[in-house]
Amino acid sequence: MHTSELLQSYLVDANTWDEMYANASVREQYKKAVEFMQQLSVDELNKKEELAKRLFMSQGITFTVYSSGEGIEKIFPFDIIPRIITASEWDFIEKGIKQRLRALNLFLKDIYSSQFIIKDGVMPAEMIYSCPHYLREMHNFPVPYDIYIHISGIDLIRNNDGSFYILEDNLRTPSGVSYMLENREITKRIFPDLLPNNNVRSVTEYPTILHRNLVSLSPRQTKNPTVVLLTPGIYNSAYFEHTTLARLMGVELVEGSDLVVDNHKVYMKTTSGLQKVDVIYRRVDDDFLDPLVFDANSRLGVAGIMSAYRKGNVAIVNAVGNGVADDKAIYTFVPAMIRYYLNEEPILKNVPTYHLGKDEEREHVFKNITEMVIKKTNESGGYGMLMGSAATEEEITKYKAEVLLDPRQFIAQPIISLSSAPCYMDGKLTPRRIDLRPYALCGPGGIEIVPGGLTRVALKEGSLVVNSSQGGGSKDTWVLAE
Amino acid sequence: MLSRVADSLYWMSRYMERTDGILRMLKINYASSQDDVQAFSWKPVLKIFTFLNDEEASALAHNTRGVLQYMVIDKDNPNSVLNMVTLARENGRSVQDHITKEMWQCLNDFYHTVRQEKLAEWLQKDDPITILDMLIKHGVLYFGTTDITMARGEGNSFINIGKYIERAIQSADILDVKFSDSNYDMDEAKDTTYWKYLLLSISGYELYLKTYRGGFEARNVVGQVILNDHFPRSVIYSVNRLHRYFERLKNERNVNDFNQVDFMIGKLKSKVKFSTPETIFQEGLHQFLTETKNDLYVIGKTLSQNYFSYT
Repeated sequence: MHTSELLQSYLVDANTWDEMYANASVREQYKKAVEFMQQLSVDELNKKEELAKRLFMSQGITFTVYSSGEGIEKIFPFDIIPRIITASEWDFIEKGIKQRLRALNLFLKDIYSSQFIIKDGVMPAEMIYSCPHYLREMHNFPVPYDIYIHISGIDLIRNNDGSFYILEDNLRTPSGVSYMLENREITKRIFPDLLPNNNVRSVTEYPTILHRNLVSLSPRQTKNPTVVLLTPGIYNSAYFEHTTLARLMGVELVEGSDLVVDNHKVYMKTTSGLQKVDVIYRRVDDDFLDPLVFDANSRLGVAGIMSAYRKGNVAIVNAVGNGVADDKAIYTFVPAMIRYYLNEEPILKNVPTYHLGKDEEREHVFKNITEMVIKKTNESGGYGMLMGSAATEEEITKYKAEVLLDPRQFIAQPIISLSSAPCYMDGKLTPRRIDLRPYALCGPGGIEIVPGGLTRVALKEGSLVVNSSQGGGSKDTWVLAE
Repeated sequence: MLSRVADSLYWMSRYMERTDGILRMLKINYASSQDDVQAFSWKPVLKIFTFLNDEEASALAHNTRGVLQYMVIDKDNPNSVLNMVTLARENGRSVQDHITKEMWQCLNDFYHTVRQEKLAEWLQKDDPITILDMLIKHGVLYFGTTDITMARGEGNSFINIGKYIERAIQSADILDVKFSDSNYDMDEAKDTTYWKYLLLSISGYELYLKTYRGGFEARNVVGQVILNDHFPRSVIYSVNRLHRYFERLKNERNVNDFNQVDFMIGKLKSKVKFSTPETIFQEGLHQFLTETKNDLYVIGKTLSQNYFSYT
């Protein structure tokens, strides 16, 4: 029997929330999918896995690793078993994220204008001024419709009691949404009929909503404003995502060298001369956006684009300067922001966070360092962090010394055990740790979250790090309808 | 359309056309090498399609497997199929939102095929025709997919402009080198197999047999490859197509740029159109082909200045 074989070695860690298994039985939402998988032989499942790989490869859903002068195409590892979220879980997540985004957006507007939150003593001024992502260039500049966070990818994890925590607010240029879309397409191909049989909600609306929002931001009142997607170019690891989104929205994909600013207006260079650009969805970081204002060495941006932005001649998405709101040190203040701006209790919890800039908190962290994860406030992608439980004595000493050089740049969190979900490995289902990144879109009509997201998975046994740069993969993410 | 996009489409197309030409030529020359009593020489092929100098070409001239290796998968040969498909794909990759998803998948599959490690082994041991055929099919799939799926807009025009400039240059090149082999002596190269394989390598053999009943003659071969407007690889056909697709770029916004290139293409077109094998031989075949190629290079350069300059 394959039945028992598939689940035979599924051993859930006692102290971990498992998405599929509870009290030695399969949870309701997973039952249909598991039954379906059990009807397939190991050979068939292997074939499906192979097909998934081939589809990714042939569609060029790859990233290039450059070693010894030669590019090697790799695919992001994809696990064929979907991650399933129930309607009520989703309802909760959706409400929580919307609430959080409303508060964060108000915070950005406030911090770049009146700064009431500092004046009212909710947040100390040095928190802001010590943050490298706080950009004075944005001060007193009214962005269109007061929207700063048009696109966000907030990371959620699940503790051992099953409750959701916010791990990180990604409010600058969050990536990965193309994997949400492509993973779903792959599932359609490898498991015919499985999606409709399970009543899974569709994610295909994402590009349509995004495009509608972008068009609505055009400063020019015209029927057909020119929307472009600004990419750093084909050597960027997210280049595939940029082309996918441009194609799905039918907008022009441009590089910095395709644009030019004349008299505070942005134009693109076409075969029939210059054409005015109205809205820029940029996937270039703030630092590289305008060599006249930020990093003068940048070749990725456009000289003069900030002046065009401030004159209101072009809309930039996401707004410039959002980094101050998803800084890991500011993160601890988000629950306070929700209470301050919205007069509501936060729906989604923060992971307890210690500022190493504060002496007593730093001492506490150093004392319990084996239970902590320490991160740099301005790094992402799993770089520059220390997992206290896995680090050697030597690494810890070295890291401590680095922290003491500039403690403000570090925060620490108790190691939260991420929830686990089944992954298909060598003919069996095996639990691996996962997180969740839903993508929220904010336009003049409000915040919309496509039911789904990117589930990242730590493919190494026992690993808690899901970042793709650190050996992570992804799964298709299902949100079930009622 | 962005200038950068037009530039990439144009080069993607040129590289694919060149790849197709090289693969067909390799296939037929390989067949010819099996059919030849005297030692078959790859030297003319190496001289048209690679940057090898005389000595290096002579060294490889009788090593069939070595030539295939060099022409198909050698990374140090800028004109190897591997390098050209890689370049075509890189160009395609940067304009994925302007070509159809199907086209991109063709380019991508082709790329993964020429990159697989087994290809080297196959080229050493297996039947080369089978392998070359497989690669040619990848190219044909790309051409067909482009024809069926690509929207008939500006992008399609640049793709075709690149394709026909490349093809015209290639046909002129093939004639030039084959005739240089016989010192442009029209009477010397009378060996039938010689002409047969030249025509086969550009898929013009059947048409030749139907058009000219009197056997193989140098002037007829020249007539077909340069002047026959029913032959899709002829210089005149390629230049006609080039003009046709270029004319579609006309709009009120870039009149001067357009007129400059239009004049050049028109001039070349009339020059070829109003030639006969006799006038070509009178002028000197080598002279005629060199001038034609030069005209095509200048057209390509001006096109690039007027339409693709974006840096």
